Amino acid sequence: MGSLLADWPSYNPHNFSQIRPADPSAQPSKLTPITYHPTHNRTLPPPNQVISTETRHILLRRFYQKSVEKLRPKRAASDNLTPDHGSKQLRGAFADGCN
Amino acid sequence: MMFRSNNLAARVFERQILTPRPGTSVNLVRLFYENLVPSCTIYDVDCPDHGFHKFTDDGQYLVSFSRNCQDLIVYRPTWFSFSCKEEDCDSHSLPEKAKRFDSFFTQLYCVSLASSTEYICRQFFLYVQSHQFGLFATCTARCIDAPTTEGAIDEIPSIEKITFYLVRLEDGVILDEKAFCNDFVSLAEIMGVSFYEDLLCILSLRYQTLHVLQILNSGGLVDVRNIGIFCREDDELFLNTHAQITQGGYFLSGIKQRLLSFVFRRIWNEEADPTLRVQHLKEFYFRFQDFVDFIMWKMQFLDRHHLLIRFGHMDKGVDRITIQHPTFFAVYNMETTEIVAFYEDSSEELYSLFEQFWGDFHCSRNSLHANFISSHCNNIYALDEYRCMKNSANSTSQFMKMMISSLPVNCQTPCPSPYLDLSLFQYNHKLFPIFHHVHSAERPVEFTSRRQPNVLNFKIKSGPEAGVPDGRPERSSLFRFHPYLPLALSIQRTNMQPTVVNIHFRR
Repeated sequence: MGSLLADWPSYNPHNFSQIRPADPSAQPSKLTPITYHPTHNRTLPPPNQVISTETRHILLRRFYQKSVEKLRPKRAASDNLTPDHGSKQLRGAFADGCN
Repeated sequence: MMFRSNNLAARVFERQILTPRPGTSVNLVRLFYENLVPSCTIYDVDCPDHGFHKFTDDGQYLVSFSRNCQDLIVYRPTWFSFSCKEEDCDSHSLPEKAKRFDSFFTQLYCVSLASSTEYICRQFFLYVQSHQFGLFATCTARCIDAPTTEGAIDEIPSIEKITFYLVRLEDGVILDEKAFCNDFVSLAEIMGVSFYEDLLCILSLRYQTLHVLQILNSGGLVDVRNIGIFCREDDELFLNTHAQITQGGYFLSGIKQRLLSFVFRRIWNEEADPTLRVQHLKEFYFRFQDFVDFIMWKMQFLDRHHLLIRFGHMDKGVDRITIQHPTFFAVYNMETTEIVAFYEDSSEELYSLFEQFWGDFHCSRNSLHANFISSHCNNIYALDEYRCMKNSANSTSQFMKMMISSLPVNCQTPCPSPYLDLSLFQYNHKLFPIFHHVHSAERPVEFTSRRQPNVLNFKIKSGPEAGVPDGRPERSSLFRFHPYLPLALSIQRTNMQPTVVNIHFRR
């Protein structure tokens, strides 16, 4: 900076001739930026937190959200009919009512 | 706000010195299409009598089929070139030797796909852009009085053989094929097939099975799963090893069982009051047989694991296969084999999802054109028209049903040409529907730039140059726009007369 600009072409040869170089004692490379430290740890993320993009797009998320709302049982847990997903249980003779 | 000139030279200069707002450089570059328009026409070009089907979305190929629908012919779009030694070249018209079909298109190859008893389904073409593969279909004639087969729905006609071919478009090599015998897949407008990334789903209407296939990088078509009677790969084994159950028993198909159990669980969980719950269940049991009689009518991918399937009852006793209303929609997770959601076609909830997230129903368009194909989700002019249509509809519920009836979405992609982009140009697209591009040949299609709405930018006249003599019936034209070049074809085809092809380009 400073005298460098004075050599560049300009309408008026006196332009940029007044600029003095910056204060040499405050060289930018030696300045450390001011750092801020939190005074509490209330906003720390959980230690095992991983942030990633949701793979399902918004439409599918909405379908799931609405279906979860509808399928959420609204009465006592003893009446809950959620089947056991993992195993396929052998049943007895098939009911006639399915015809 | 800086004044932006419409002059081409000024725009080029501005592009050198001005940085567009973040994320809008593509939009700014697309504005150049207002200056480079296909306003020049070569009428009735002497060209081979083929059915020019479509430009591929990357603009590399023009796919066409022979008139007898047995051969595939692929052209490479190029551009004409000629030299002019005079001083004032602009005023000269094109020399006759430049006004030819092969000035613009180079034939790459001609491949025979169909044997003598088969024909290529002209409306069926899927492009796998990542590998430049094309998927085509051939079929034989319909069988009348097909024999009754176990598991088949007799009312649905049977086609002796439907074959899907995966072709490498670069050189015309047939990489793989998949045949369905004595089956029926709805090929018209690609209704029975859905495509997402490298997955293909083919709905066999006759056997009520969804065949999910994967397109490998090497060009193979491999079966991933079949959904219909069985949902998981080991279902068949499990049921067969427990023979005492199947004897005299009656099992619903896997997908039907999933659907019915979802509906039952929803009714059970939704209603807290036991009396009302019993009432709703009674209604469900009353309609139980209707649910059992459902057929899968159409489907699409929502993502790699989810399908949107439309169920309904077949309309019997008609020549064409149609479906009765009401129809129903289900979202099915292929991994967990569970139904996630179930709606009737009059559902307001489904309609509101359709209206807000239309783009996600069309998720198969992962190409670079996806943001620029105008729809009410990404374009204010299209949204404006959509709202007008909605407000002027006689009945909101009928309008909603009509909109939902377009689901599941066909994987036909509309043409991504910038000249059809509603944010750049205004044109009467009611006469020029975005999917079929069929237009009356006698009236030119006028394109007006959005930024200068009072000035006609260019027009495309597809009829004969001299106009049509009185008394002749109006003919309709098909248009094929190149995805990014100022090049378009207009094609008039009638059965007894030769095809008339015009080329519209920028001189």
